[in-house]
Amino acid sequence: MEAFWVEILKSLVSGLLMGLVFALVALGLTVIFGVMDIVNFAHGEFLMIGMYTTLVTAPLLGVDPLITLPICGLVGAVLGVISYYGLVKYLLRGPVIAQLFGTFGLMVFLRNLALLFMGSEPRILHKGVLVGKSFVVGPGLVLESTKLAAAVLSLASFYVVWWLINRTRLGKALTATSLDRQGARYMGISTELMNALAWAIGGASVAIAGGVLVNFWPVDPNVGLLFTMIAFATVALGGFGSIRGALFAGIIIGFIVQIPPVWDAALGLLGLGGGDAISLHPFKYTFVYLIYFIIMIVRPQGLFGWKQ
Amino acid sequence: MPLLEVQHVSKVFGGLRANDDVSFVLEANEVLGLIGPNGAGKTTLFNCIAGYFPVTSGRIIFDGRDITELRDYQVARLGIARTFQIFQASGDLSVVENVMVGAFMHSSSRSRARLIAEECLEFLGISDSAGHMLSELPVARQKRVALATALASHPRLLLLDEVAAGLNPSEIEGMVDTLRRIHQERGISLLVTEHVLEMVMALADRVIVLESGRKIADGNPEQVVKDPEVIRAYLGEHFAPQAGQAGPGGEEGRHA
Amino acid sequence: MEAIRNAFDFSDFPRLDLTIAGLGILFLLIFPALPHSSFAMATMIQFLMFSLYGMGWNTIGGYAGQVDLGKAKYVGIGAYTTAVLMIRWDIPFWFSMPLGMVFAILWSFVIGYPLFRLKGHYFAIATIATSLVVKDIFEVWDFVGGARGLELPLKGHFPDFLYLQFREDYYYYYIILGFFVLGVLYINAFRHSRLGYQLRAIKDNEDVARSLGIDVHWSKIKAYAVATAFVAMVGSFHACYNFAIEPEDTMSLDLSILIAMMAMLGGAGSLWGPIIGAAILVPMKSYLGSWLGGQAGLAGLDLVIYGAIIMLIAAVQPRGVWGIVEAVRARKRGSHAAA
Repeated sequence: MEAFWVEILKSLVSGLLMGLVFALVALGLTVIFGVMDIVNFAHGEFLMIGMYTTLVTAPLLGVDPLITLPICGLVGAVLGVISYYGLVKYLLRGPVIAQLFGTFGLMVFLRNLALLFMGSEPRILHKGVLVGKSFVVGPGLVLESTKLAAAVLSLASFYVVWWLINRTRLGKALTATSLDRQGARYMGISTELMNALAWAIGGASVAIAGGVLVNFWPVDPNVGLLFTMIAFATVALGGFGSIRGALFAGIIIGFIVQIPPVWDAALGLLGLGGGDAISLHPFKYTFVYLIYFIIMIVRPQGLFGWKQ
Repeated sequence: MPLLEVQHVSKVFGGLRANDDVSFVLEANEVLGLIGPNGAGKTTLFNCIAGYFPVTSGRIIFDGRDITELRDYQVARLGIARTFQIFQASGDLSVVENVMVGAFMHSSSRSRARLIAEECLEFLGISDSAGHMLSELPVARQKRVALATALASHPRLLLLDEVAAGLNPSEIEGMVDTLRRIHQERGISLLVTEHVLEMVMALADRVIVLESGRKIADGNPEQVVKDPEVIRAYLGEHFAPQAGQAGPGGEEGRHA
Repeated sequence: MEAIRNAFDFSDFPRLDLTIAGLGILFLLIFPALPHSSFAMATMIQFLMFSLYGMGWNTIGGYAGQVDLGKAKYVGIGAYTTAVLMIRWDIPFWFSMPLGMVFAILWSFVIGYPLFRLKGHYFAIATIATSLVVKDIFEVWDFVGGARGLELPLKGHFPDFLYLQFREDYYYYYIILGFFVLGVLYINAFRHSRLGYQLRAIKDNEDVARSLGIDVHWSKIKAYAVATAFVAMVGSFHACYNFAIEPEDTMSLDLSILIAMMAMLGGAGSLWGPIIGAAILVPMKSYLGSWLGGQAGLAGLDLVIYGAIIMLIAAVQPRGVWGIVEAVRARKRGSHAAA
C-alpha cells in the first residue's frame, strides 16, 4: 500500500518537473504566435539545436553543461532572427498554406542538416555537475538533480521572459504589437522589429530548454518532432499567445505523461500487475495528442483565451 | 402569405443588443429597403435572416417555413441568396467558374451549370469577362459577378448588403437598373440595405428604418423620409420637427 | 454519364500541355522496352506510386486547401488489409485492395468528422497527431505483427496476377501505370465535378461558399475520403510489390511529409502538379540517395535540399512549379491585352 503512494508521489513530482520543462519549450511557440499568428513547425528543431549546442560546446570549452546555457540562448536567438528575416518575413505575405509549408520546410531542412553533421546516433551528456546525480527525499523517493535543475531553470526563464515582457519598454512594445499591430505601428513601433524580437525570444527560450534537457534526455536529429507536438498541445491547452497559459498547461501535460506509471501503480495495487497487464507506456504521448484534439474542438481558446 | 416574416428578432452579442425586437414582413415580389445610421444593426439583421449566426430570440419564417434554426447553407438552399460587403477576390476560380458555383446549388451537371452561368452573366451584361479572374476586374464588375452568382442559384429572395458601396454615380445608376430588372424580369424579391439613399428611394416599394437595433419606421419611402423619428435618428434632435411643425430646421433648429 | 465525359475532358488545357502530356504517356508506355537498369525501373515505379499518392492528397490538400500531413496512416490501412487478408485467408489482391480502400474510407469518416472542425495549422497538427497515434497502435498490435510487420508468403508460381506476385518488375510497372492512368482520369472528372468546384469555392472563402448552399464540413469530409481511397489503393499495391510491410515504412510521418511535399512542390490544386512534383523529387531522391549512400557521411543531404526547396517555394511561389507556369502564362496574356 505504501509502495503505491510512493509511486504516485514519484509520478507527481516527475510530472511537475517535466511539466515545467514542457512549459519552457512551449513558451517560445506561444510568444511567436502571440505577436504574429504564425505557428512554427520547426520549433522542435530549435530545441534539438539547443541540445546539440550544449552537447558540443560543453566538452569543447571544458566547462560544465550548465554554463553553456547562455550560449544556447544566443544560438537560439540568432537562429530565430535568421529564420525570421530569411524566411518567415516572406511567408507572412502569403496564404496560410504557404506559412505552413514554409516552416515545415525549415523543419525538414534543420532536421536533416543535423543528421548530416551530427549523425543519427542518440547522444547524451555524460559529464557535468548534475549529470547522473540524484538525492533521496523520503522513502523510495529519488529526485534526479538534473530534472530538478531543469525545472528550476524553466521557472527562472519564465520569470525572465515575463519580466522582459511586462517590465521593459521593449516588452511592452511587443505586447502592443501583439494586441493591435496597426495601432502599435501608428505609435512608431516597428512591426518588423517586433516580429524579429519575438522570434529571438522564442528561439532563445526553446534552445535553452534544449540545453537543459540534454542533461537527461538523449538527442538525435528526430527528437524535435515529439517536442513540437508536445509544444503544440501545451500551447493549445494554455491558449495560443498566453504565457501564463503555457506555464500551467505545461505542468498539466507533464502530469498527463505520467498516466502510464500511475496506471501501472494502480494495477499493482489491485494485484493485476505483471507481464500480462496492459501497458499504457507506448501510448504515453497519445494522451497528449488526445488532449490537443479535445481542446481544439471543445475549447479552442484554451485555458487563458486567445491572447494574454 | 408574405414571403418573409421576421418576428420579434433580437440578437445579443455579449453586452450589446445589436437587434432588439425587430419585426416586419416582406411580401412576395416586393422590394424592401433597410436603412439606418451606422451601427443600427442592419448587417446583423441580414446575417440573422441568412442564417450566418443564430438569433438570440424571435422567429424567421420564409415562405411559410420556420427557418430560425437553420444554418446559412441550408437557408441558401431554400432560396435566399445574399451578397457580402467585403468581397474577397478569388485567386482560383475564373468569373464564369465563380458563377457556376452558384448554379451548382441546384444542379449537379457541369454542362447545365455552365449554361446557367453564361445566361446569368449575359443578363448582367458582363459576358465578356467570363474567362477573367475576379481580381482583374474593376469593382463595379466584381459586384455584377456577385449578383450573377447569386442569380445562378435561382433564389426567391435576394439580400443585398450595401451593394452600392464604392460605386460612382453612373455605376450606381446602372446598378439600380440592373436590380430593377432582376426584380421585375426574374420575379425575385429584394431586401436592400443601403447607405446610398437615392438607390433605396428609386427601388424600394417599402422602407424599414433601424436605429440602435430597433425598428423605428416602416412604410413607403416618401413617408419614411419625412418621419420625425427617422430624421432624428440620422441628423440628431436639432433637426427633428416637433409634431405638427413643418420639416427640419425652422425655429427649433436655432436653439443650441 | 456526364462524369465519364468529364474524365476525358482536357479541353481547358492549351495544346502545348496536351502534347507534352501525350508524349509523356507514350514514354511511360514504352519505357520497359527501352534499355534501362533495374534501378531505373524501380525509380519509375516509385514515381508512379508517388504520383498517385500526390494526386489523392491533392483533393484535400490542393483543391480544398486543407493541408493534410497524416496521409500515411491510410497507406498503412490499405497495405495491412491486403497483407493480412492474404496471409490469413488467402484473399487475392483484387479483392483485398477494394476492401482496404473501404476500411480506409470508413476510418477517414470517423477521423474526419471531428478533424474538420479545425482549420489551417491546427488541422495540420491534428493530422500529424492522428498519424502518430495510429502508427503507435500498429507497432504494439500483435495481430498485424507489431513493429516487425508482416511478410507476404510466396505463392510459388510466377507470374501471378491474382496475388500480384511477379519476378520481373515490368509486370508491376504496367499495373501501377494502369492505376496511374485511371487516377488521372478520375482526378480530371473530379475537378470538373460539382464537388470539385465547391471545394475550390471553399478554399477561397468559406463564408461565401456557405452562402451558396455548400455544406463546407461535409464537402471536406468527402474530399478527404477520396484522398484516402487513392492512398490506400497504392498502399495495397506497395504491400504486394514489397512482399513485406512494417509500420515504419508504410505509416511513418516521413512518408506523409514526402507525399505532401511532392504535391506542394509540383503545384497543389492543379491536375499536373502532383505528377510534376513526383517527377522532380522521386528521381532526385533515388539517384541522390544511391549516390550519397555510397558516401556514408552524407546521409540526409537530399532532404536538406528538399527542405530548402520547399522553403523557397513557400516564400516565392506557394503554388509550386505549376503555379510558376501559370504565372508566366498570365503575364504573357496580360501583355497581349495591353498591346
